Amino acid sequence: MSKKLLEINDILVNFGGVTALNKVNLHVNEGEIAALIGPNGAGKTTVFNIITGYYTPTSGGVVVDGESILGLRPYQIARKGLGRTFQNIRLFGDMTAAENVATAADSLNKSGLVGSLFGSTRSRRDEAASMEKAHELLHFIGLDHRAFQMAKNLPYGDQRRLEIARALALNPKVLLLDEPAAGFNPQEKVELGDLIRKIRDRGFAVLLIEHDMSLVMDISDRVSVLDFGQKIAEGTPAEIQKNQRVIDAYLGVAEDAS
Amino acid sequence: MALMKASSLNLRDKFGDWWDGANPAQRTIFRIVLIGIFYALPMLNNPIIDTPETSFSSVLFYPLVMFSLMAVGLNVVVGKSGILDLGYVAFFAIGAYTHAVMSIHTPLNFWEILPFAMGFAMLAGLILGLPALRLRGDYLAIITLGFGEIVRIVAVNTEAIGGSAGLTDIPGPDSIFGVEFTVMDPRPYYWLTLTLLLVVIWGVMRLSQRKPGRAWEAIREDEDVAEFMGVATLKYKLWAFIIGGAVGGLAGAIYASQIRSIQPELFTLNLSIMILACVVFGGMGNIWGVILGAVILGYAPEKLRFLSDYRIIFFGLLMVVMMNIRPNGLLPRKKREHFQEKNK
Repeated sequence: MSKKLLEINDILVNFGGVTALNKVNLHVNEGEIAALIGPNGAGKTTVFNIITGYYTPTSGGVVVDGESILGLRPYQIARKGLGRTFQNIRLFGDMTAAENVATAADSLNKSGLVGSLFGSTRSRRDEAASMEKAHELLHFIGLDHRAFQMAKNLPYGDQRRLEIARALALNPKVLLLDEPAAGFNPQEKVELGDLIRKIRDRGFAVLLIEHDMSLVMDISDRVSVLDFGQKIAEGTPAEIQKNQRVIDAYLGVAEDAS
Repeated sequence: MALMKASSLNLRDKFGDWWDGANPAQRTIFRIVLIGIFYALPMLNNPIIDTPETSFSSVLFYPLVMFSLMAVGLNVVVGKSGILDLGYVAFFAIGAYTHAVMSIHTPLNFWEILPFAMGFAMLAGLILGLPALRLRGDYLAIITLGFGEIVRIVAVNTEAIGGSAGLTDIPGPDSIFGVEFTVMDPRPYYWLTLTLLLVVIWGVMRLSQRKPGRAWEAIREDEDVAEFMGVATLKYKLWAFIIGGAVGGLAGAIYASQIRSIQPELFTLNLSIMILACVVFGGMGNIWGVILGAVILGYAPEKLRFLSDYRIIFFGLLMVVMMNIRPNGLLPRKKREHFQEKNK
């Protein structure tokens, strides 16, 4: 039984009178690709926003590598080892690709502003380390040739991948990918699947939100299904594909089952 | 057509290419010559650039180099970090009043007071920023606007610092390196401010190219995402405020030491807006742009003084036309991109 790197325990989220997540339990094991699927509005992105500290749950807890992160600010949680991407690409558009990645890498060093101003030994070492890491990750993701281009000028697919590189710069224990294949053609989806496996093999656990079922079923070790804020199923891709509740949630149930 | 446009606008890229290709010696020579020209400016006596009614060297001090200094300071807040600050004059006022009060009531001289002037302005930035920077956008702008007014109104109503009559007989700086600071000659003040401006430019550029610069830009681009990427956004926004405040306080202290008497009316919202206009007009986020903006917006009203009050109309017209032609400012922030062939 491998170690649980991320645990979400009994998360309840109420927005006014609406229950967005109802007692949801999820976990991500070391070295696995876990997927979170569900129809639109099921609460998948809300789960990400809870994990990364953007929302506070009404009740329940989030544990990263044995440590509760409830109540921490998003930047503190990021430094604990959670990197995320966004459903709608949110890069720092007016910064170069390398700077985008370096900004995330920066947050793991302790250099202060005064040190940067006067060029302390530590700040210079950290500066070099951030840049080296940025270029190393851009190489890993296959974007070295884009390093000095503005993020906003990159082609769509490269922007998606740059977001992944930026999240990886946080050395995440768990990488949270929010619909990384959105807008990709079949060929690009296959490449993305290979990339996610490569990321897993590098030692990062992955939690993936995705609508593309062939991608999810192809690369995931474990799939959880959300519907109307409830977890309705969890299991291997093969089990999920046969689960009647999942099929009903996606296809709908006939009102009159005669 | 497209080609023509490209070649005519590419002066900047041409300079950039030359700069990238230049060796350190060439760059040093370029810097020295340029800085030398700026130090020599008060010696110029040319009817084309001379301004009516006020001598050119006094215009050089105020508004040109003063506006430049303040614009560079405000640019850290507005241009780099994307925080709209409509009360920048508050820091200028705090610096000016610190020098005025301390030089009158304590035996300290201008040089010894300078760190206090900057320190109090930084403290004001911290005190304002801690609660205010939790807000964003319009709400934050309104708070900073209010702060600017609060500082002025407090000055008007505090008899201990002269009330609405202000303070007079403020001592000037003691002579330094054989340079005398007199009431009649604005040139030493210009050289002093220019020197400090160069130091501030050096500092801001260092920070911009390193971790703090990236953090500020990330905050400007998308504050939520910056936070998700581990940037301590509140800390860096506070730093931006504190640095901007320090520069404003510095400018205020020099200003008070030169004009020798200050009144609250010198520190109205108009000045905040003016400095903000320099930043936007010149090019938010680009240090050379905002200085150019400060120089043009400081110089134009003086040069147009022969039109008496109509000059304000021309001034407004200039801004409207400019912002239509170059909505991102005269020299917009623009990093030169490098394109490489994919090496696979």
